[in-house]
Amino acid sequence: MSVAVETSATAGIGAVAGTPPQAARSPLISVRDVVKIYPTVAGEAILALDHVNLNVGAGEFVCLVGPSGCGKTTLLRLLAGLDRSDAGTSSLAGKTLNGPSPEVGVVFQQANLLPWFTVMQNVLLPLSVGGAKRNDTLIAQVNALFRVAGLEGFENKYPYELSGGMQQRVAIVRALARDPKLLLMDEPFGALDALTRERMNAELQRIWMASGKTVVLITHSIDEAIFLGDRIVVMSPRPGRIVRELKVNLPRPRVATDMLGNEEHTALAREIRMLLE
Amino acid sequence: MTDTRSESNALDLIESSSLAAKSRRRYARIRGVGIGLAGFLTLILVWKGSVDLFDVPSYILPAPDQVVVALWSGLAVPISSPLGWYLPLWSTMANALMGFFLGALLGLLFGSLMAEFRPVETALMPYAFALQSLPKVAIAPLIVIWCGFGDGSKVAMAALLAFFPMMVNSFAGMRAADIERIELMKVLSASRLETYRLVKLPSAAPYIFAGLDMGIVYALLGTIVAEFLGAQQGMGVAITKAQAVTDVAGVFAALVMLGVTGILLHLIVRWIERSIVHWADRGKH
Repeated sequence: MSVAVETSATAGIGAVAGTPPQAARSPLISVRDVVKIYPTVAGEAILALDHVNLNVGAGEFVCLVGPSGCGKTTLLRLLAGLDRSDAGTSSLAGKTLNGPSPEVGVVFQQANLLPWFTVMQNVLLPLSVGGAKRNDTLIAQVNALFRVAGLEGFENKYPYELSGGMQQRVAIVRALARDPKLLLMDEPFGALDALTRERMNAELQRIWMASGKTVVLITHSIDEAIFLGDRIVVMSPRPGRIVRELKVNLPRPRVATDMLGNEEHTALAREIRMLLE
Repeated sequence: MTDTRSESNALDLIESSSLAAKSRRRYARIRGVGIGLAGFLTLILVWKGSVDLFDVPSYILPAPDQVVVALWSGLAVPISSPLGWYLPLWSTMANALMGFFLGALLGLLFGSLMAEFRPVETALMPYAFALQSLPKVAIAPLIVIWCGFGDGSKVAMAALLAFFPMMVNSFAGMRAADIERIELMKVLSASRLETYRLVKLPSAAPYIFAGLDMGIVYALLGTIVAEFLGAQQGMGVAITKAQAVTDVAGVFAALVMLGVTGILLHLIVRWIERSIVHWADRGKH
């Protein structure tokens, strides 16, 4: 069990002292019977999400896996406040979500940095728009994250001077700049090569363990899901439904080489693969 | 020990190969300039040769050396001399630049409004298309009636011609802004003005500079056309004056001056573009 992680995670969220860990894990995100329908150009409607229910506890790392077009991204866009559901409710820390929230940071498939700004300007963007509060504590936190992400010395470089993996790390630091409760990641490492991806997974685990955020991450890679997740949510092809939730009981910090031939890893991977077929 | 030596040999090899590449590039550049010069000299020689051979009168086509003489007679005078190129060129440039800034600013404003607000686009697009397909030089007589024979007409004409490429390009550039970057701003609850200022305007910058590049040359064109229609000073006047006394070499010299001015203005815009939009085309993500 990843007890150490849980305590550090709840501490990061600022749980009330003295409450048992179970209570601190009251869901940060609660998705109830959410339905999303997309109209197509041809005029017919596509049911993207069909009565989806999902709870994510504070400090939890949840991985969403499923075949292409199963509505994973749709679900993430609802949580990010970029789209509205057609039925059902979703709430964040007890408050109904209906629009972007400063408590949510988003990492897109592409790093999506603004090429006309330096790395530092990109990272501080969330603190300079949308009426964000910009104080020394937040800036100090960003600087600390900047070091954790191994970006020191690149403050005044432009995004085009950075490698793909480094750009994605900048994007992660940017998403954390407002100190949000929740970090949403949509296949953040999909565009990277296998080795860089593995290294990024280890770094993400490190950043997550240090920051204690709640993370919902979409991935196509079963190995990535098992390596990163406390829990893996498997979705079915269209219409998107949640077919299974699996706990990952591997100790943290996880190391990629330990995963090879690990019994639990193998069992989980087999189960997810069978669910996806 | 052997390792170290072979490594330093490898470094030498890298250095010598980079030097070789550099000298190859320099050679290619010199060759490019050489070909350009040879082409230019051939053109001048063919021009001179055919004028001499067919005995073309200089009021039809002057020989290149006559053009050089006319050019020099306007350059080798004090700056304030009424016989030099400086006064008319200054007048034309001042009016063209003023019109350019005015037209470019208005073009950017209207292009932005059209990109940002659908109703504005719906209302203005038909007129934009209609005016765009109209040969705008044909409006010049009207402008002269409204703004007189002075600098007003020249500025107005330059502004009119600089306006359209700027409006169309800034509109297109802002509409082409990456949807993911706009969604990023949405996730950050950025205001409309913040999204415009930090994402849409910079996204449109390469388009805007293409518009400026076109606009500066058009502004010069507009000023000259207005000057043709009865102004008192400027390069257009210098050309009509030379034409009146069939000083064709003088007309050619004026055209050379205008050509060089146009190229210089274009280069200045390109130079500013390169220093501001240095990030364009350097990988999207």
